[in-house]
Amino acid sequence: MRAARSEDRIEITRAVIPNAEIAAQVRTDGDGAVATFDGCVRNHSHGRATLYLEYEAYEAMALAKMQEIAAYIHANYAIRKIAIVHRLGRLEIGETSVFIAVSAAHRAAAFDACRYAIDTLKKTVPIWKKEFFADGAVWVDGELPPVPAETPAAKPASN
Amino acid sequence: MTVKVLYFGRLKELSGTSEEIVEVWDGALIEDLFARCSTARPELSKFRTSLVAARNREFAAWNTPLSAGDEVGFLPPVSGG
Repeated sequence: MRAARSEDRIEITRAVIPNAEIAAQVRTDGDGAVATFDGCVRNHSHGRATLYLEYEAYEAMALAKMQEIAAYIHANYAIRKIAIVHRLGRLEIGETSVFIAVSAAHRAAAFDACRYAIDTLKKTVPIWKKEFFADGAVWVDGELPPVPAETPAAKPASN
Repeated sequence: MTVKVLYFGRLKELSGTSEEIVEVWDGALIEDLFARCSTARPELSKFRTSLVAARNREFAAWNTPLSAGDEVGFLPPVSGG
C-alpha cells in the first residue's frame, strides 16, 4: 500500500472541519495555486427536504484508501501538498462533510488533482451517508467500488 | 478457524450488529463466509450482488481464500463526500 507524504493531512474526524486552516496549511511560497473542494450538506434530495445527514465509515480502511488517493496524486500530478479531511456522525444542513485542498506551482495540476481526489473518494472510500427526512430516512445509493478480478489460484487447475 | 466479520450501513442495521466472530472451515473463501453469515440472517443474501467484500482492509474478490484471524468487511455501495 502506498502512503501519503508526511506533510499531507489525511484525516477522519467527528469535529467541525476547519476549512480555512486546512487550506492555509497546504500553501507554501512556492505555490501559485491552491484548489479546494468543500463538500457540504444540501437541504434537498430528489425533491424532498433533507433535515440532516449521518455519516459512518469503515474507519481504518477509509483512512488507508484516502492515503492511497494522496499517494497516487503525488505520483501523477505536479502538486505540492494535499489535504483530505472527511467528517463522520450527524451533520446539519450547510456543514462541510469533506474538505480537500491541493497546492501546486500552477493551477491546472491543483484543479485536476482536487477533482481526481473527490471523484475517487466517492467511488472507493468506505464511507456511507444516511439522509433523514421528515417522514423517514434512507441510506444514499452510492457506488460499488471496483474489486480485483477473481484470483486464478482459487479456481480449479485447468489442463 | 475463525474470522472477524464487519457490517456497515444498511447491512449493519439488517444484521443488528457491526461485527461478529464466525467459524469457517480451513480453505473457506469469502463467498463461503458470506453464505455462512446469510444462513443465520436470510435477508442478507439478497444483498450479495450489491455489496463488495474487503479482506484485511483491501477490496477482495469473492473467491479469495481466508486465513484464520482475517478481518472481512461486507460493504454496501459507498456514498462518502
